[in-house]
Amino acid sequence: MERLAEDLNVCSRRGLSERFDSTIGAGTVLMPFGGKHQMTPIQAMVQKISLEQKHTDDCSLMAWGYDPVLTTESPYHGAYSAVVESVSKLVATGASFEDVYLTFQEYFPKPGRDPRRWGLPFAALLGAFRAQMDLGIGAIGGKDSMSGTFENLDVPPTLVSFAVTTEKARRILSNEFKGADHRAVLLSPEYDENGLPEKGSLLALYDRVSDLIHSGKALAAYTPERGGAAAAVMKMAFGNGLGFRFAPEVPLEALLADKPGRFLLEVTEPVEGALTLGETTEAFAFVRGDEALDGPALQSVYEDRLEGVYPCNIPTVPGPVETFRFSAHEHPRARFQAARPRVLIPVFPGTNCEYDSAKAVRDAGGEPVVLVLNNLTPAGIVASTDRFAKALQNAQMVFIPGGFSGGDEPDGSGKFITAFFRNERIKDGITDLLDHRDGLMCGICNGFQALIKLGLVPYGRIMETDESCPTLTYNLIHRHQSRIVRTRIASNKSPWLSLMDVGDVVNVPISHGEGRFVADEALIRQLAENGQIATQYVDLEGRATVDVRFNPNGSLYAIEGITSPDGRVFGKMGHSERIGHGLYQNVPGNYDNRMFEAAVRYFR
Amino acid sequence: MVYRIFVEKKPAFDQEAEALRRELTDFLGVASLTGLRVLNRYDAEGISKDLFDQAVRTVFSEPQVDTATETPDLKGGAVFAVEYLPGQFDQRADSAAQCIQLISQGERPLIRSARVYVLYGDLTENEIAEIRRYVVNPVEAREASLQKPETLRVEYAVPTEVKTLTGFRELDREGLTAFVRGYGLAMDTDDIAFCQQYFADEGRDPTITEIRMIDTYWSDHCRHTTFLTEIDGVTFDDELLQKAYESYLDVRRELHRTKPVCLMDMATIAVRYLKAHGKLDKLDESEEINACTVKMEVEADGKKEPWLLLFKNETHNHPTEIEPFGGAATCIGGAIRDPLSGRSYVYGAMRVTGAADPTRPVSETIPGKLPQRKLVTTAAAGYSSYGNQIGLATGIVDEIYHPGYAAKRMEIGAVIAAAPAENVRRERPEPGDVVILLGGSTGRDGIGGATGSSKAHTAHSVETCGAEVQKGNAPEERKLQRLFRNPAACRMIKRCNDFGAGGVSVAIGELSANPRSAWRWRWRRRTCPPSWPSPRRRTCRPAPWPGSRRSLGWSWRGTGRRSWTSAGRSWIPTARPSIYASRPAAPPIRKRPWSAGSGRTWSAWPRT
Repeated sequence: MERLAEDLNVCSRRGLSERFDSTIGAGTVLMPFGGKHQMTPIQAMVQKISLEQKHTDDCSLMAWGYDPVLTTESPYHGAYSAVVESVSKLVATGASFEDVYLTFQEYFPKPGRDPRRWGLPFAALLGAFRAQMDLGIGAIGGKDSMSGTFENLDVPPTLVSFAVTTEKARRILSNEFKGADHRAVLLSPEYDENGLPEKGSLLALYDRVSDLIHSGKALAAYTPERGGAAAAVMKMAFGNGLGFRFAPEVPLEALLADKPGRFLLEVTEPVEGALTLGETTEAFAFVRGDEALDGPALQSVYEDRLEGVYPCNIPTVPGPVETFRFSAHEHPRARFQAARPRVLIPVFPGTNCEYDSAKAVRDAGGEPVVLVLNNLTPAGIVASTDRFAKALQNAQMVFIPGGFSGGDEPDGSGKFITAFFRNERIKDGITDLLDHRDGLMCGICNGFQALIKLGLVPYGRIMETDESCPTLTYNLIHRHQSRIVRTRIASNKSPWLSLMDVGDVVNVPISHGEGRFVADEALIRQLAENGQIATQYVDLEGRATVDVRFNPNGSLYAIEGITSPDGRVFGKMGHSERIGHGLYQNVPGNYDNRMFEAAVRYFR
Repeated sequence: MVYRIFVEKKPAFDQEAEALRRELTDFLGVASLTGLRVLNRYDAEGISKDLFDQAVRTVFSEPQVDTATETPDLKGGAVFAVEYLPGQFDQRADSAAQCIQLISQGERPLIRSARVYVLYGDLTENEIAEIRRYVVNPVEAREASLQKPETLRVEYAVPTEVKTLTGFRELDREGLTAFVRGYGLAMDTDDIAFCQQYFADEGRDPTITEIRMIDTYWSDHCRHTTFLTEIDGVTFDDELLQKAYESYLDVRRELHRTKPVCLMDMATIAVRYLKAHGKLDKLDESEEINACTVKMEVEADGKKEPWLLLFKNETHNHPTEIEPFGGAATCIGGAIRDPLSGRSYVYGAMRVTGAADPTRPVSETIPGKLPQRKLVTTAAAGYSSYGNQIGLATGIVDEIYHPGYAAKRMEIGAVIAAAPAENVRRERPEPGDVVILLGGSTGRDGIGGATGSSKAHTAHSVETCGAEVQKGNAPEERKLQRLFRNPAACRMIKRCNDFGAGGVSVAIGELSANPRSAWRWRWRRRTCPPSWPSPRRRTCRPAPWPGSRRSLGWSWRGTGRRSWTSAGRSWIPTARPSIYASRPAAPPIRKRPWSAGSGRTWSAWPRT
C-alpha cells in the first residue's frame, strides 16, 4: 500500500491542481478534492450549465480515461479501456448511461515510413472503434498529433478518451467514504478471453450501479483506475480521514488488478453478487490481516511524492494568532432608503467575477449595474470614467469584483483598479457616496486588494498609502491557491455581516495568488478592538490558525476580511458570491454568509 | 526621454527570489550560491517626470512591500538582466502602460520591463553561465543590456513588395530538397515538387507568401496528413486485431463507404454507423466545425429551454515543450476559442498532461531539452495563469508520468461550454458578406506554429524555433467571452471560425462554403502593424492574428480603427445591419473537402 501511495501515477496531484481556479462561475458541483479534508480526488468534473441570470439544476460532466502502460503493451486494449474508463467515471459520479458523447486525443510517435509505427495508431483506433460499437456511443470529435518523436525517443502510444454527458445536480454522487462501519463492495463485469469487459455485462452493470446510486443505497462510488481497488480505497478514505479494514479473504491480486469497468461502492446493506472488500473504520488506519498502516503516515507518503515539484504542504511559519470576537449591539440602517438598491459593479480588463457578483446581488434583491471599462483608446478611458462617475451618483453601493485586473501586473495585484479610483472625479464620487450618502462598498479578492491599496479598508477613505499601511501580498506558498476554506465571523459590526452571529463558521471558495494579509501588530490590535477584523481562517475546530491547510495564504492572525472603521466598507479574500444550490457537494458545510442580503436590507 | 526605475521586494516579501535561489542550489546544484536578488526594471518613455514619479509610487511599486530606486546597489554580485524577445507579449509592461494611462487619462506611454538578477557567492564563470542558461529560455527571452537606451521606439521597415521566387520552376529534385531546407518548410520534397508542377502549369513562379501559405495549409497540424494517408495494405500478427479490422470493413460495406481506408475513416466511422442506426440523436450537425456540439434541454428557473452543449479538447505539445509557460497558456486559450466561436460561453476546463518523472535530477535532462521539472512547473503556471485570468473553473487537473514523454511533452486542455440554441444562427456565407477579424494585438511571434508543430524535432529546436511560440493575453480573450455571451452580438453572426495555428490562410478558407472562392477575398484596408516585417506574416500567422492563439481574428489599435473588414466571402454582418443585412440562404455550392479541415481537429460529421 505504501508502494502504491508513492507510485508516481497514483500519488496526490493536489499541489498541482490547487493552483487552478476550480470555483469561478459559481457552478462547481464537485470540488476537485472531496471530504472535510479535501483529499479524495474526483473522477468526473461536474459543473452547472452556466446561465448568466437564471438558475438551473442541470449540469455537465466530463471525465477522461487512458493508461500509458497498458496502451504501450497493446494500443488496441489501451484505447478500448480508455473509452470504458472515461464512461465508467461518469457512471460512478451519478450520471445515467444515456446521451454520453466522446471526444478523443491521439498522440503518437511520428510514423514515417515504418509499417510497424503506423500499426500503433491503427491498432488504437481499432480498439476505440470496437469500444464505440460495443457501447453504442460515438466520438464526435478528436485531435490527432502524430509528432511525438525526438531523435530516437518516442512518446507512448496515446489515445485519451474524454466522455461527456449531462445530469441533474441532485443526482450527482461524490466519491469520498462518508462514514465509518460501512461496507465497501466491488462490482465487476464479465471479461472476455482478451481481458476486455463483455459488452452486455458491462452495460447491465452501468444500469445496476446507476440504480444503486440513485436509490441512495450507494453512499460513494469509484471506478478503480491505476493502482486498482487498493488505491481507490485509499483515496476514498483520505477525504474524511476514515480508516479501512480489508476483508482477509480478499486476495491481494483482486485488490491490485487494473481492469476497466469495475465499481467500488460504499454501502450499508449487502449487495448481491458483489465482492466485499472490507469496511470503513473510525480509526484512521489501513488494516489487512496482521498488517496495519497508520493513516497519517500513509497520507504523507501519498502527498510527499510530488511535494518537491508541486508544493501544497509547506511548513507552517509559527506566528502569533488569536481568535477575535467583537459583537455589535446594534446595526444602523442607511438614512436614505431604497427598495432595490443599485450596486455598481465595474468591470476592468481582467476582471472575471462580475457575472457571479451580479447574480448574487440580484438574487439578494439588489439591482446590479455592470459597467465595463473601455480602455482601447484614451478617449475610451475618458468616456468610461465619465459613465462611471455618473453611475456612481445613482448607486447605493459599489462592489469591486474579483479577477486579475491588468493580469495582476505590474508585479502586484489591484494596481489597475487603484489607478482608476485615484482619478479625481472617481475619488470625489466615492467620498460623496461614503461620507454623505451612507453608501456601502465591498471588494472581494482582487476587489479587496484594490480596497486595501487605496486605503478604503481599514481607513475608510482613498489615500496615498505608505509603509505603515496594511496590504495583501503574495501567498506564502508562492503560487495561486484554490480550494474551500473555513472562515469564522470575528465581528458582525459591518452592515454586510449584520445577519451573522460572531462565531458562525462559513465555508467559502478561495482562489487567489496574493491574499496574505500583512500589517504591524499594533494596527492589528487596534483593528480587533474596533471590530474591524471581520473574518478569520479557522481549522476544523473553529480556531484561527496559520496552518496552510486552513489559512491558504499565510495571513497574519489568520485574517480573511477587514472593514473600514464603521464597517461600511468591507474587503475579503474568499468568494462569498460563488454560492448556489447544489454546489460543492463533496465539501459539506454552510456556504452562505448572507452578506448581499444584509447589504440590501441595510437600505430597506 | 527614458526614465528608469528598479523595484525590489523587501526581504520579508521576497519569496520569489528565495524560491529561485532554492531551485538553483537544490535542483540545479549550484551550492556556492549564497544569495540571490531579483529586481524589476522599468523603462518609460512618452511620460512627464511628475507622472513617472507618481507611477513609481502607485504602479511600479507598492511602498508596503517594495523598495524603488533609480540607483540600486549591485556591488559584489554577478549581475545580468533578462527581457522578452522583441515581439513577445509582455503583460507586465503592457499593464503598467495601461495603468499610467488610466491615471493620466492621456496617451499610453511606452514601457519596457526587464528582470535584473544579482548573484552572490563564490561562483565560477561556469556556474554563472549555467544559472543564466537556466533562467533565460532563448525561445522567449534574451539577456538585456544594462545600459539605459536613448529611446524605446523601434523602427520597423514597412514591407512594400512580396518576393517572387524567381527560378523556382527550374529547380531540379536536389534543388527542391535544398529549397525546403533553406526556407525551413514543413512539407517534403514530394509536396514541393507538386507545387512546382502547379506553378509550371500556371506559367509563373510563386511568391514566398504563396509557398508559406501552402506550407501552412498542408501541414499535418492543419490537414491531418497522417490521418488522411491512404492505407493500402495491412498485415496482422494478432487475431483480435484482425477480427476488429474485419468488423470495421463490414461496417464500411454496410455504409457503402468507397473512400480509401485511412486512420481518419477508422476514427469517425463508428459515429456514421451509430447515426445510421438512429443513435446519437442529440448530435448537433452543421457545416461549422468549431467544437463537439450536442443538443440538450436546460431547465432554467423551472422552464425548459433548448440549449447546445459544446466541448473540445486541444493539445499544444510542441509549443509547451519548447516554451512551457506560453505554450500551455495558449493551449487553454486555443481550446476556449473553438466553442467560443460556436457562440457559446465556456465555463469549465480540464487539463491532462504527460511528462517524464519530474523528480529526477536536472543532470539527467536530454541535451537540447528543458528539464522535466522546469517543464511541468512552468507549464502548470502558464495554463493556470491563463485559465484563472479568463475565469473558467478547472475541475480536474491530472498528469500522467511515463518516460516516453521525455520525447515530447503532452499538454491537453479540454473545455466545456453551453449556449441557448436561439443564440446560434447557422447560415451559409454568401458573396458580399463581411468578414470581421476580431481579437487582440500582441507581438509578431508565433509565425509558423502549425508547421513547427508538424516537424519532427532535433536538439537545435529550442534555439531555432523561437518565432513559433507566443504569449497569450487572457484579459483580451475574456473580452471576447463577454461579447459572445451577449445574445444581440451572437445573433448577428452567420458563421464564425477561430484562428488555429494556420492563421488567416486557413481560417478564412474554412469560413467559406466554397474553398476556391475563399481565396478571392481582399483586404479592404491594408494597414498593418509596423511590427510585421513581411506580408508572409499577414497570412501565415497562427491564431489571433497579430500573434496570439487567443482570439477570433483581430483588430489593431494603431490607426484608431477597431477592426478590419475584407471584401469577399462571408462572416458576420457588423454593427451596421442596414448595410450588411443577411440574405436568404443560397443553395449549396459544394461540400467542403477535408483539406479545409479546422486545424487538426476532426469531427465526425457531414463531410462526405
